[in-house]
Amino acid sequence: MNLNINGTSRTLETDPERTLLSVLRNDLHLTGTKYGCGEGNCGACTVLIDGESVRACVTPVGTVAEREIITVEGLANGDKLHPVQEAFIEHTAFQCGYCTPGFIIETTALLARNPHPTGDQTRAALSGHICRCGAYARIIDAAATAAGRTGETS
Amino acid sequence: MSNEPAIKIVDHPLWSDDPESPVAEYPEATLLQISADGQITGYSGKVEYGQGIRHGFALAIADELDTPIDSVTVVLADTALVPYDRATVGSASTRTVGLQLRRSAATLRRYLLSLAADYFKSDVRTLSCKAGKVVRAGEAKDEVTFAALLPASQVTLDIPDDIRPKPESEFNAMGTDHPRSDAIARVTGKAMYSQDVFVDEMLHAVVIRPPSYGATLLNVEATRAEQTPGFVRFIREGDFAAIICDSADGAETAAKMVRARWDELDAEVSDFSMPVALKQHANELVSLRSEGNVDAAFDSAASVIEGVYYAPYVANAAMEPSAAVAQWDGDNLTVWCSSRSPFGEREAIAAALDVTETNVRVICTEVGGSFGTRSATISIDAARLARAAGRPVKVAHTRDEEFVWSTVRPAALIEVRSAVDSSGAITAWDYAAYHSGESPFRGRRGADTPYDVPNVSVQVANSVSPLQSGSYRSLGGAVNHFAREVHMDRIASQLGIDPIEFRLNNLSHARLRKTLTNAADVFGWSASKTGSNGIGVAIGYDAGSFLTQAAEVSTAGRDVNVDRVHTSFDCGLVLNPDGVRNQVEGSIVMGMGTALWESVEFDGGRILNPSFSRYRVPRITETPALDVSLIGDPNTPSTGAGEPAIVTVAAAIANAVTSATGRQIDTLPITPQL
Repeated sequence: MNLNINGTSRTLETDPERTLLSVLRNDLHLTGTKYGCGEGNCGACTVLIDGESVRACVTPVGTVAEREIITVEGLANGDKLHPVQEAFIEHTAFQCGYCTPGFIIETTALLARNPHPTGDQTRAALSGHICRCGAYARIIDAAATAAGRTGETS
Repeated sequence: MSNEPAIKIVDHPLWSDDPESPVAEYPEATLLQISADGQITGYSGKVEYGQGIRHGFALAIADELDTPIDSVTVVLADTALVPYDRATVGSASTRTVGLQLRRSAATLRRYLLSLAADYFKSDVRTLSCKAGKVVRAGEAKDEVTFAALLPASQVTLDIPDDIRPKPESEFNAMGTDHPRSDAIARVTGKAMYSQDVFVDEMLHAVVIRPPSYGATLLNVEATRAEQTPGFVRFIREGDFAAIICDSADGAETAAKMVRARWDELDAEVSDFSMPVALKQHANELVSLRSEGNVDAAFDSAASVIEGVYYAPYVANAAMEPSAAVAQWDGDNLTVWCSSRSPFGEREAIAAALDVTETNVRVICTEVGGSFGTRSATISIDAARLARAAGRPVKVAHTRDEEFVWSTVRPAALIEVRSAVDSSGAITAWDYAAYHSGESPFRGRRGADTPYDVPNVSVQVANSVSPLQSGSYRSLGGAVNHFAREVHMDRIASQLGIDPIEFRLNNLSHARLRKTLTNAADVFGWSASKTGSNGIGVAIGYDAGSFLTQAAEVSTAGRDVNVDRVHTSFDCGLVLNPDGVRNQVEGSIVMGMGTALWESVEFDGGRILNPSFSRYRVPRITETPALDVSLIGDPNTPSTGAGEPAIVTVAAAIANAVTSATGRQIDTLPITPQL
């Protein structure tokens, strides 16, 4: 099957029923996408499929062949970080950082469909993600900062 | 340019609670070095699990040397490279190893200045460090880089006794906010956690888990599992069984085909009967403090107020499930893992596998949260399976395994009896706490009362623990504070006195008083109870620090919304203010979960809710407005910041819920009782 990941086409032979998460991590060693719960409850494994956020741990890899997959490794443009990544650094919107790729991908998806979300819209969009370190208030601030920047550049 | 060390600062490892006493039984090790190319490297056995200690150390070293933070690297938690350290526990890193690293950097600074004095042929008093250079002041203004000053052959220095770190007035980087030096790796997915370790030829193993604690393996059969594509080995040693495959998915599939029969322990205790069992099966109470004549004071008391409080087991539930990779090379073993204690892990692996400790290298990767727990056995499992398979092996917990096979915070039943006189002064305090677990001292943290009471008895006992209990942010501290601070509100309510006024009437501890009066002021205590909302307060101490928290809640049936929490926090001198605030905020969110929803449900040794769909943790939609005042005296030594702010949360929220609903709260979590 053919997978289009972060702008690169990759061909692999594997069981289409396997999870996208396992393929990303175990086969391609794209370890920025995290395993957190395996049942779509924590958001750590979130990736973009054709611009929409999807839980890779409950997505059979066969369903995403030929579609555009973006992982956290594919957000930056060379050394130039994505505005959402920059905002997470600016607000130190993390502690251990394990949930951070999922939050960043989800925030990116949110801002793509709604460039100026209200605080409540941001909270609702991120409610499927768990940050056990409790950096939530900073994540909300980072999303607002990123929304401002994305707005300026678009 | 070479990266060979030009100057090394060495000392005995320092990990105890006493920042002045290195542990002489361990040999001197390199704490800090500058290489010929001018790069500075600090070494510590502490583990980075989210608290930001790598950045905190880098910031402190850079400031002491007045060098840019990007010229400083901090190497953590690799037994082959760093000084011995017991474990990353007790909110001790900044006040112990952090202080030692600052003194190391101050030693290097003094030495570089003496080299520069020779170089410039100037009095050392005309010289200072600035931006990675030594600068000469005055008319003959000049400067030289650190690298240009370094000696041709390596110099090793001890820390002189008279070396003191900079006073706050001379800070240039510490005390202000900076982006975390490990931030880019965290937002780009490059940060490497134990789950992310892949080595060549690596196999994947799944341990066949018993259904409950203490179960013994009667028989096990893996014939079907062995037919799985990629199957490598099935291993059984006593009650331990595991399946090894050449892929993670293969191991997961094969493990499901293993048939095992277990003999489980009789399931006498469940989460329902636990409060009763704790007292029924308790060991003898151990006295932590006994003063005055408690019995006589109760006999003559104007009023006696009693309460019984209960907190259930709660899960740490760190976001990264524990994992370990073990790789043998002849008799030498390397293990990458998510432990909080690289040297403790090394000792345990060496003992379990009967190998020489120095042949074992443990590397703690980035760790995806801990809060007190991590699997105690996963590294040993990986090491023994790798030895059996003759290839590197990874063992990685599923979420279910992480809930069940990492430790939980001890449950506790706490009895408080208090006497007050007609003026509202507490005259007697009798406190008995029964915490689950193997040691009575698990429950002692925070058990003592900070209030002025002439007749006091504080006792703790350990009791039955059907589950594997262990550490958790502040250990028993949060539970003891819940009981004491809710009880304080109960007394205040019976006396008809405002909770803050009642506390101040019975509190002479200057630092605690300051946090309480500041919190009352900033929170706007006297004007905040406006209608159906509730407000609550609690004071606390932990890891050398002091604080007051005030919470405002609104309730509707079983829904409790924590609208805002103010924290006035005194952890002495603050080196990294944003780091402290981040820890305080995280502690509040975590504590809010234990206050409102969290409880590990169990029947005998079986955990019944080992998933995020059945064990409710705080979500972003539930985040209160968080406001933190850092009010420590900068002339007071730095104390703990990672744990103290959780000790007061459940009590402040419980008191606020009582204020809103009129319901006395004496059991956690709160919402099922409403």
